[in-house]
Amino acid sequence: MAVLSAAGADAKPLDIGAMVKEAGLAGLIAFGLAFGLVGFETLDVPGGLAINTRFDDVAAVVVLTILGRIAMILLREHRPLLVAVIGLPFSVVLIVSLVFGWWTYFLPFSSAMVGWIVALMAAVFSLRAINALSHGDTVASREQREKTMDRIGARVQTAAKYVGPLLLAFAIILPFLPFADRRILDIGILVVTYIMLGWGLNIVVGLAGLLDLGYVAFYAVGSYSYALLALHLDMGFWVCLPFAGFMAALTGVILGFPVLRLRGDYLAIVTLGFGEIIRVILLNWYEFTGGPDGLSGIPRPTFFGLEFKRFAPEGMDTFHTFFGLEYSPIQRIIFLYYLILVMALITNLFTMRIRRLPVGRAWEALREDEIACRSLGINPRNTKLTAFGIGAMFAGFAGSFFATRQGFISPESFTFIESAIILAVVVLGGMGSQIGVVFAAILLIGLPEIFRDLQQYRMLAFGSAMVLIMIWRPSGLLAHREPTLLLNDGKSKPQETS
Amino acid sequence: MQGSFEYFLDQLINGTTLGAVYGLIAIGYTLVYGIIGMINFAHGEIFMIGAFISIICFLILGAAGITWIPLALLIVLIMTMLFTAIYGWTLERVAYRPLRGTPRLAALITAIGMSIFLQNYVQLLQSARNKPMQPVFSGGIELMQSNDYIVSLSYLQMFIMSLTLVLMIVFSLVIARTSLGRAQRACEQDRGMASLLGINVDRTISLTFVMGAMLASVAGLIFLLNYGVIDFFIGFLAGVKAFTAAVLGGIGSLPGAMLGGLLIGLIEAFWSGYFTVEYKDVAAFGILVLVLIFRPTGLLGKPDIEKV
Amino acid sequence: MSVAEDLSVAKTLLNVEHLTMRFGGLVAINDVSFAATDNEITAIIGPNGAGKTTVFNCLTGFYKPTVGRLTLNHPSRPYQLEQMEGYLIAQRAGVARTFQNIRLFPAMSVLENLIVAQHNRLMQASGFTVLGLLGLSSYRHAEREAVDYCRYWLDRVRLTDRADWNAGNLPYGAQRRLEIARAMCTRPNLLCLDEPAAGLNPRESDELNELLTFIRDEHKIGVLLIEHDMSVVMEISDHIVVLDYGQKISDGTPDYVRNDPAVIRAYLGEDEEEGGS
Repeated sequence: MAVLSAAGADAKPLDIGAMVKEAGLAGLIAFGLAFGLVGFETLDVPGGLAINTRFDDVAAVVVLTILGRIAMILLREHRPLLVAVIGLPFSVVLIVSLVFGWWTYFLPFSSAMVGWIVALMAAVFSLRAINALSHGDTVASREQREKTMDRIGARVQTAAKYVGPLLLAFAIILPFLPFADRRILDIGILVVTYIMLGWGLNIVVGLAGLLDLGYVAFYAVGSYSYALLALHLDMGFWVCLPFAGFMAALTGVILGFPVLRLRGDYLAIVTLGFGEIIRVILLNWYEFTGGPDGLSGIPRPTFFGLEFKRFAPEGMDTFHTFFGLEYSPIQRIIFLYYLILVMALITNLFTMRIRRLPVGRAWEALREDEIACRSLGINPRNTKLTAFGIGAMFAGFAGSFFATRQGFISPESFTFIESAIILAVVVLGGMGSQIGVVFAAILLIGLPEIFRDLQQYRMLAFGSAMVLIMIWRPSGLLAHREPTLLLNDGKSKPQETS
Repeated sequence: MQGSFEYFLDQLINGTTLGAVYGLIAIGYTLVYGIIGMINFAHGEIFMIGAFISIICFLILGAAGITWIPLALLIVLIMTMLFTAIYGWTLERVAYRPLRGTPRLAALITAIGMSIFLQNYVQLLQSARNKPMQPVFSGGIELMQSNDYIVSLSYLQMFIMSLTLVLMIVFSLVIARTSLGRAQRACEQDRGMASLLGINVDRTISLTFVMGAMLASVAGLIFLLNYGVIDFFIGFLAGVKAFTAAVLGGIGSLPGAMLGGLLIGLIEAFWSGYFTVEYKDVAAFGILVLVLIFRPTGLLGKPDIEKV
Repeated sequence: MSVAEDLSVAKTLLNVEHLTMRFGGLVAINDVSFAATDNEITAIIGPNGAGKTTVFNCLTGFYKPTVGRLTLNHPSRPYQLEQMEGYLIAQRAGVARTFQNIRLFPAMSVLENLIVAQHNRLMQASGFTVLGLLGLSSYRHAEREAVDYCRYWLDRVRLTDRADWNAGNLPYGAQRRLEIARAMCTRPNLLCLDEPAAGLNPRESDELNELLTFIRDEHKIGVLLIEHDMSVVMEISDHIVVLDYGQKISDGTPDYVRNDPAVIRAYLGEDEEEGGS
């Protein structure tokens, strides 16, 4: 006992009875949650369903919940030593066995993923305990956390000045690195597409503070605009690109016009509704959009009129003959990669620039206080419409890229989940933070693509990441705002009140 | 055939059944919105979990050999309400309580995250396939017959309507008469003041989520009985439509949620019956957009004056 | 009675005629008429719930009055405020306001708060964003001018060395001053201040008096002021309108109002009781 209470001199004696009661209650709740859905599995058998039991999993869930709860209580009651002593070896053993694949011998779970989660939780607990042992304080108040996170955000943004160019340089030479095969490049293209979409949505959500849950609709409009123009009017990618952006922006403005005066959460639901309406229309308007079959045979982009094909069509030249290269299908992939990279960079430059213009400042002011904006003579509706329209425009650009890359599009690619993923990228990165979007996209899109095993847990992780980050920091993980212009350059940096 | 009265009556019955499902879910949205002013986006998933727990209960009962339908239904009803209520409680405790007092959008993003989480949680545990179930009820009474078109009210539909009616009456009474209901209404008006007056605000909010989850779980059971097939994705559409119902009726208003649910159910049934099935979802979303633009307070809601 | 003479000479800036505002059955303002002139501070006083803020909300377009005409005589042309959208009242007619519970842009810097107030001017200079995106020098020039104007007001409200702080991190009194400076940066003809002295200590109150007289004397604009702090009201206002239960009960110079039996009965009598606290 003397050892246990050494961490906090002022610690009250531990009330074992209350602790058991609290942990027991948590176990009971966990049992209630797990019993139905974890305990029984519905199996598809010919002629209906059969049921299978997984009570061992339920037991594991309950035991782990109780252990976790006890650890939380101990941390709360300033007794971190015990948690550290038990938690650390436990997590280390678990992680080692997971890495080497021994976990099947002593863990009851059907998947390594569960083992990883348990190991991570144990690691988090023991790290918190160690932190408490070394700093003597376990519970940080919300304001303290907010301040710490803001400082980290500021540091990341300062670091972004150096890391950004490095990342960019890496992105530029990526196709020529030895390990960059087709799969890596495809993942690269995907990640950069989401970075671009994230940057586009960041204008709407991060700067203007308008929660748009139907962002994918504009992506869809861009895709279909390009596909239809290319298929029916035989227009090239470069001609269609501005048009697709324009169509998406127009859709944004038309949809936004009636709804942008709605309050934040209503606006979110209405944009979700619009997103679904557009998807249902695409799904059912057979003559025009091909319905669920989608559109196929969408032309690939050309490099200033040079096709990426082995043999040139009549009167055209191909990329490899023009440059005297050996034909290789990867040339097109590399080209697509650079194409989206440039498009994404333009989005970024545009955003950085417009933030410093009156309209960008008005967006942020609107996010902060719409009523004050009105009293200063700012037209809230037009200002919001520009944000909405510009955000939609970038989605439209990205959409036409998506169409030309895939060569095939169907409404399936434009579901609400897609909007939610883009939103998760923005939120996770920290609303308004450009570098945050990059990290979030690599983390959320890149990692699950590289580790295919993680695929089925990807959406689960998305969901929990959104929840955890909002609880941890409602303004987003790396959110930090630097003023767009300074009066006393460097002399008196913006500081916290002491 | 479409012009006949019988066809109309058929759609009316279908619409009312559907309306029962939407109405029961909508109550959960309205109660939560009333008390903490957030859109509980994950409420549709609670409904889906209710449906899954129902089907698991039926399967267990089937395996246990309990085949007397009234008893089986009663057990399933109680079990579903109980186990789904735990999900409702945990949802609030884990995801929403830490966020109280933060901007609305943070809470909404959390709710969306929770919705995605729960969907995939069920998908992982129970697989992504459709889960079909044999019909529990059969037969019905014939209401009308002309030429070769028969309008009948099945026992299932009668059960659904009466169950919904009973539940709605019970819950309206709970809110109007009991101390819990009084505490809820007090928290709706002014949470800080309510807590100063000795109302346990946390507990009241938790119970509101529990009530909402119970009603949604019954909606899940009804959905399962009526359509005979469920999957992990049913919560999304049903949730958005029920939210539309709550908004249409006037969010925050209990009778509004019931009325809105009924109206959305009827509109959807008549739209599919007389226009096109394909665009029935567009109809629901279209109504949502129109209501929010032209009458954001809904049919029975109170106006919300902007404070400057 | 020099002020009364001024009243007859000076052109009225704002004319409120028969203003009535009902919320359902509740009559918040009932047939109130008064005028405010350039180069004067007009105070609207009255007990809590007298309808003062509602008058402001009607003037600045947040409420549509049930009945009444609100005419603002802009140098170029008269504006009927009751027919205009809120943001246009600020943009065209040049009516700026502050709020009872301060409404700054807390996550933006002090300087940015003032720059946003010059939005419309800068928007034109940036060619509605297009030219600004191209980085033309005309816009950069306009922005520099705007910053200079901000600096002028920052000096006035003594916030220059805290210009790069987040507005939300300023102490309360400084936030009040910043909100006034922000309203002034819209270059208004009429400045409406909703309880600017609320929560200020006596020293800050004195500074506020100075600032308001400076605005009146140097910028020659009309100031409309809602205030409870009688030391502020009596010292600096040229003209006082007294409201009670939505009705105007008195209107005149501070001396006249101070001695008006109706005011003493309805308001000042109460105020003296409060004065002890």
